[in-house]
Amino acid sequence: MLGLLTIAWRNVWRNRRRTLISMSAIGLGLALVIIYSGLIARMMGDAKEQLDNAGLGHLEITAKGWRANRSPKLAIDDLDGVVASLPLPPSAEVSARLLSRGLLSSARANQAVEVHGVDWGQERAVALYLREVRQGAVPADDDAQGILVGEQLAERMHLKVGHKLRLMVQRADGEMGAALFRVRGIFHALSPSIGQRRVLISRAAAAELLGADRGAHQIVVQLERAADAAPVAATVRAKLGAELEVLTYAQIYPIFEAMESLVNGAIVVASVFVYFLVGLGILNTMLMSVLERTREFGVMQALGTRPGGVVRLIIAESFWIATLSVVLGLAIGVGVSWVGSRTALLDFSRQMGEGIEFSGAVLSAVFHTELSVRGVLLPALYVYVMALVVALYPAWRVSRLRPVDALRAT
Amino acid sequence: MPAVEVIEVKRHYQAGATTVRAVDGVSLTVEKGEFMAIAGPSGSGKTTLLNLIGALDEPTSGTIRIDGVDLAGLSRRQVADLRRDKVGFVFQAYNLIPVLTAAENAEYVLELQRVPRVERRKRISQLFTELGIGDLVDAWPGKMSGGQQQRVAVARAIAALPAVVLADEPTANLDQVTGQALVDMMHRLNHEHGVTFIFSTHDPMVLEKAERVVRLVDGKIASDQRKGETARQIAAEAPAAR
Ligand SMILES: Nc1ncnc2c1ncn2[C@@H]1O[C@H](COP(=O)(O)OP(=O)(O)OP(=O)(O)O)[C@@H](O)[C@H]1O
Ligand SMILES: [Mg+2]
Repeated sequence: MLGLLTIAWRNVWRNRRRTLISMSAIGLGLALVIIYSGLIARMMGDAKEQLDNAGLGHLEITAKGWRANRSPKLAIDDLDGVVASLPLPPSAEVSARLLSRGLLSSARANQAVEVHGVDWGQERAVALYLREVRQGAVPADDDAQGILVGEQLAERMHLKVGHKLRLMVQRADGEMGAALFRVRGIFHALSPSIGQRRVLISRAAAAELLGADRGAHQIVVQLERAADAAPVAATVRAKLGAELEVLTYAQIYPIFEAMESLVNGAIVVASVFVYFLVGLGILNTMLMSVLERTREFGVMQALGTRPGGVVRLIIAESFWIATLSVVLGLAIGVGVSWVGSRTALLDFSRQMGEGIEFSGAVLSAVFHTELSVRGVLLPALYVYVMALVVALYPAWRVSRLRPVDALRAT
Repeated sequence: MPAVEVIEVKRHYQAGATTVRAVDGVSLTVEKGEFMAIAGPSGSGKTTLLNLIGALDEPTSGTIRIDGVDLAGLSRRQVADLRRDKVGFVFQAYNLIPVLTAAENAEYVLELQRVPRVERRKRISQLFTELGIGDLVDAWPGKMSGGQQQRVAVARAIAALPAVVLADEPTANLDQVTGQALVDMMHRLNHEHGVTFIFSTHDPMVLEKAERVVRLVDGKIASDQRKGETARQIAAEAPAAR
């Protein structure tokens, strides 16, 4: 015959319906954990990787103290020298900005705006909305009058490509400065607040307007992987010295870390809950199937099966139930996650708009899932651990019975 | 060495304030090759005594040796191994394991003893042929008649050549003819292979086939009679004295 596993396998199928019901319940629980954590992992991953949705970048380099009071006077003077000396991985994208608050006036309306003076080519790589110019185009490099506005702002001020605008800012010397610009393009941002408040001009024009040198207030670095931010920041910091401040996105927006631990906590709680139910399911199945066979275990003991042999058989049966459930759970969980890693699993864009903004970062409202070996194998492993732990109780109960008592059971 | 030695064995149950003396001072020696029946009225302690001899239960006092091994002080695991190697059981309700075929049931003890598969198969198919159940090898217990199941159970009990086979009312669930045939089969195994049998029964026809009959009354041996001998009364507890 016939190892332990064969006998256990046959025993599992003695009550076909019961086995099918419990394997479905456990399998669906497992699938749920896999899909849910894949969704959350992807969401957190996206939030960090896609900081360019809002033009945030993974690293920010400024003059010391700039972030505290955003004084227009605190600029990085030797911009070219600093940028050239940055020890960055080759895939990193760098863009320098001159920043200011301003008042934008058309013939009919005024709006408070934040002015980004950028180098168009570099900025494209760190700000997604520059790749989303829906009307007109990004101004040419030598276009000192070109300005880009967001869709919301354009709508509010009834702006069209070609319209003339006056932009007024506070200059570095404290005087007011103003210049005329022409709308060259209207961009689309995932975040409505960016679309409503942000305007972009060339860095040269911004320098002129602000009465500043052609330096920058802020250098933004977009990395390929958010996880590299801290180590890269450390080397950059070491290189640049104390005059400049280097911050990672996690330092600027501590909510990322907070969100992550919150979300991981939520996964843990949900998983514990699901596994608790899974455990109860296996326990119920095993207890029923073991207790109704008490006499049979008595017979096995009478024939010379050691108490440990009975325990092993029951654990083997639990192992099979776990395996059947894991196969089903993986089929569903991996299947759905795989689909979700390609096409949108959840789409909240109708309810929430296409972007969800939290703390400056903008997340697409279309959710995908992440499919990772770890995210799949770990939950499956827990089902096995659960099955093992839960089988111990009925196994222990039966193996403790004296054969004479077990044989008397009906 | 005797197959079974029972010395001054008692098994008392505490039922509230009263003590049930199910087995109450039994001494008995069963030699190898005996074909012995235990008789007695209902509640006289037959099952209890067989359970004690089979190491399924422990005596309140007294000594039991199976094939020279004292059961007292053995661990649960050692007792299991002793049952595996020295005791065969035939139950009233057959008790075949339903997920195993007839042959797999019969092989079960051999597998516990780690007899190699080929060897097991050979022994079981020989045994089945000899017992006239060769066509049942791959049958499932649920598809067999009571008589067939009990024959397979006998095959399972003797397959590993135990020192003694214990059968508590093996024919009680069978009709007269089938029961007779089963006992005849057991008797033949006893004759031809020297298998030691101890069985209990209420059936006078079955009792008649035994070579030795031990009669229990109230947990004590009332008589111990071999075929051909006249009834040998057991000293003090003789029924005549009651
Ligand atoms: N587990 C137990 N607890 C209490 N009393 C018991 C138990 N098992 C048996 N007895 C009692 O011990 C006595 C002997 O029972 P036993 O089953 O050995 O008799 P028996 O000769 O096999 O009877 P039967 O012919 O009806 O099978 C009876 O009075 C019975 O009620
Ligand atoms: Mg009985």
